[in-house]
Amino acid sequence: MPSPDPDDWSVRVRDALGRYDEPLLRAVAGRLVKPRTNQPADDLLDKAVGILTNPPQIDRRIKELPPSSRKLLALIGLSRQPRWAVGHLLTLLASLGHAEGFAPVRAALDAGLLYPELPPDGPPLDDFDRWLGAGGTLAAVAFAHPAVAARARGEDLELPDLASGGREPPGSPARQADGLEWPLRLAAVWQQVGGSAVRLTQANTLFKRDQTRLQGDEVLAALPADHLAPSPDLGILALFWAKAAGLLAEADGELRPGSFPSAWDAGLTPAVSQLFAALPHVEAWDPLAGYAPVESGLSGFPTAGLLSLLLLASGGRQPPDGKPNQGADAPRSPGWTDPAAVAGWLWENHPSWAGGSPAATTDRGAGWVEGFLLGVAYPLRLVEAVPAADGWAVRLSDLGRHLLAGGPEPVVPPLPPQTLLVQPNAEVLAFRQGLTPGLVAALSRFARWKGIGPACTLELTPEQTYRGLESGLTLPMVLQTLARHSTRPVPPGVADLLQRWANKRDRITVFASAVLVEFPTPADLDAALARGVVSVKLTDRVGMTADGAEPGLSQLRLIGNRDYEAKPQRCVSVGDDGVTLTVDAAQADLLLDAEIGRYAEPLPPETPGVRRFRLTPATVRRAADAGLSFADIDGWFVDRTGGPLPPAGRLFLFGGKVPPPTAARRLVVRFSSAELADGVVQWPETRRLIADRLGPTAVVVEEEAFDPLRRVLAEVGVTLEEI
Amino acid sequence: MHTTARLAAKLHRRVCLVLTEDAVLAEELLARKRLAAEVAGRLSDQVLLLRPGRVEAVLDELRKMGHTPQVVGGK
Repeated sequence: MPSPDPDDWSVRVRDALGRYDEPLLRAVAGRLVKPRTNQPADDLLDKAVGILTNPPQIDRRIKELPPSSRKLLALIGLSRQPRWAVGHLLTLLASLGHAEGFAPVRAALDAGLLYPELPPDGPPLDDFDRWLGAGGTLAAVAFAHPAVAARARGEDLELPDLASGGREPPGSPARQADGLEWPLRLAAVWQQVGGSAVRLTQANTLFKRDQTRLQGDEVLAALPADHLAPSPDLGILALFWAKAAGLLAEADGELRPGSFPSAWDAGLTPAVSQLFAALPHVEAWDPLAGYAPVESGLSGFPTAGLLSLLLLASGGRQPPDGKPNQGADAPRSPGWTDPAAVAGWLWENHPSWAGGSPAATTDRGAGWVEGFLLGVAYPLRLVEAVPAADGWAVRLSDLGRHLLAGGPEPVVPPLPPQTLLVQPNAEVLAFRQGLTPGLVAALSRFARWKGIGPACTLELTPEQTYRGLESGLTLPMVLQTLARHSTRPVPPGVADLLQRWANKRDRITVFASAVLVEFPTPADLDAALARGVVSVKLTDRVGMTADGAEPGLSQLRLIGNRDYEAKPQRCVSVGDDGVTLTVDAAQADLLLDAEIGRYAEPLPPETPGVRRFRLTPATVRRAADAGLSFADIDGWFVDRTGGPLPPAGRLFLFGGKVPPPTAARRLVVRFSSAELADGVVQWPETRRLIADRLGPTAVVVEEEAFDPLRRVLAEVGVTLEEI
Repeated sequence: MHTTARLAAKLHRRVCLVLTEDAVLAEELLARKRLAAEVAGRLSDQVLLLRPGRVEAVLDELRKMGHTPQVVGGK
C-alpha cells in the first residue's frame, strides 16, 4: 500500500520524470511549468515537482485537459488510490462514455499530471506509446500525485442519480455498521499468515492448501454478525485485501505479516479510508463467485465496485473547488437506491459487465451489486441500508459521503477506553463499542482472535505471546495494554501465565548476526567486562554486547577482523614433532577454537598470546570415536595447516587397525661396497640365502643361513667374519 | 596493565550463534539430529555456533521442538 504522505509521492514523481529522456522531459515539464526561457533539464524537473503542491496552478493545468482526462483524474482522486492499472482506468472511462481508448490517459501523461510506473532498470522513456506497448494495458500501472487527484475530485462524472426511495428512511431506521468488521478480519488474517506464511503460485494465485485453510477457518469464514447479504470466501477476500492494504508483504513468493499501517492508530475514519483506497488492488475476489483468480485479463471487481459507490454518490457530489462543503450548501444525504438500479446501469455501461462478469444474467448483476454493497461496503461503513420491498435499499453513509461526495469528516464520539474483559482462563472479551482499529492492531500482536461477533473473543496463547514479543513488544507493554483497556484488573493468574511464557522465550537466544570480541587472554576479557566494553561472557576469552551489536571501539585496539561467513583460512602450523600445533592468532577464526578441540588438547601457554595444542593418541582416538572419518580429519589438516595429517597423527589413528608388526632375530651382513652387495643379491647361489636387503651395503640373513652363506662366499674369495 | 590502556581484541563479525540458559539445554539441542547438523561447533557449554546462513532452519527446528527462541539481530 503506498504511503499517503505527499512528500513520498513527490519523490515518486521526481523519480518517474527523472526516467524520461530529455526531449520527453522537456515536452512534459514544458506543458506543466510553461517556462518563459530555456532552462536546464534539472531545473525544469524541480519546478515540475514543485507545481504539484501549488493548488492554483494544478487547477489551471487540470482545466486545460480534455473532459475525459479530467474525469480520469477525478476517478483516481475519488478512489483515494493513486496507483491504477491502465486497463482499469480505460474500463472506468469507457463506463462513463469515453471509449477513446488510450487517448485520455495519454493526454494526462503528456500534461505531466499522470506518470507511468517504470521498471527499475529499464532504459530512459522516450515515448508513452512504447511504454504502454511494452507493458500492455493489463500490466502497465500509472499513478497520479494525490494532491493533483484531490483537486480533480470535483469534476462532474455525469453519472445518473439512481435514487428512487426519497431522502428519508422509508419506515424502518437506517442500519449502519460500526466499520470495524473488516479491520477485525484483516487483523485475523494477518495473524493467520504470521502463524503460517501463505505461498503464492507464479500466477499470483493461492495453492490449494492455503485456499482450503482460509475457506475453512472458523473466524474468517464466518459471516459478519451484522450481515445483510451472504458473501463467499470472506477469508480469501481478507487475505488479498490485507495484502493490498500493506498489512501483508510479499517476498519470494510468500505472504508474510508486515506492520499495521499508521492510519489504524489515527482512528476509524483514516483506517477505513486506507482500506477503501486499497480495494482497487483486490483482483482475485468476486462478490458472487468468491475466490476468482484472474489468470488473464482484468478483474471486474475494482472498477465495478468503485462505480457502484460513485453511483450512490451521484446525488450529492462535492462542489468543484475540491474543498469539503460544510456550510449551508453542504451536500445533502443522497436518496435511497435500489442495488438493482445500480446493477442495471453497470449492465448497460460497464464494458465487461454483461459479457465477462460472473454475475448471473437472470438478475442482470443485481446479486453482484448487493454482494458488494451489502457484503463489503456496508461492513466497512461506507453505505447504510434500510429494508425495502424486495431486499435492501442503500445510500452512502456519513463516512461514504466524506470519501466519495465531499462530505465533512464524520465526528466520532468518544469511545469508552475500557472495553476488554480479561478472564481467568486467559480469554479476553472485547466489546466492539469501545474498540478502535488501533486497539485491534495492538491486540492482534499478542492475542489470538478466536471469534469476531458483537463481542469479540481473543485468546492469550504461548505462540501469540511469543510472536508479540518477537515483534518488539515487551511483557510490560502487553500487560499495560490489557490493563489500560480492561474493565477489571488483569487476573493475577493470567499475568503469571504471560510472565512464564515470556521467561520461556529467554531460555534460548538466537543471534542471527552478532559481533564477537576475542581477547588474547582471559584477563583481558575480564577487564573488558569490568569496563563495560562487552557484557556477555561466552568463553574465557570471547565476549559480546548484550544485543550482539558491535562494541564501542574506543577502548579496543583491533588486532584482527574476521568475517564469520568468509572461507576458513590456514592458521595452524605443525611442529617438527608432528604433534604440536601452534595457532596464528591474527588469522584464526572463531570456528577454529571449536574445531581444534576435537583433535588436540591445549598446552599451557609459554609465550603470552601464543596458543598451542598437542595431538595425543587419546585426542585423535576421541575424534575418531566421535564419528570423524580419516577424510574429515585429514581434510581439516589440509584446510587449516596446508598439509595432511602428520605421520604421528596417522600412527595414532591407524596404529591399532593395521596388521601387527613382527619382531625376529636375524643377522645383518654389511659389505664393504654397494657393488659387492649387489653381486651377492644377484648371484643365485647367494641370493637364495639372503632374507632382505636393508640398504646399499647391508643385507639380512636368517641365523641358520649364515654358515652356508659364508661357505659360498669363501668359494669366491670373500671372507665373512662374524663380529 | 594500566586500566585505561586499550585492550587488544579481534572482532568476529556476522556470527550466528545460539545461547542457551544452561548446558543441559544445549545438550538437548545437540541431541536433535536436524539441529545438530546445523551446528558448526560448540564454543562453550552454552554457546553453539551455527553454520552461516542457516539461522532460519535452526529457528524452524527449535519451534518444532516447542521452544520459543528469542531472536536478536534480524531474521
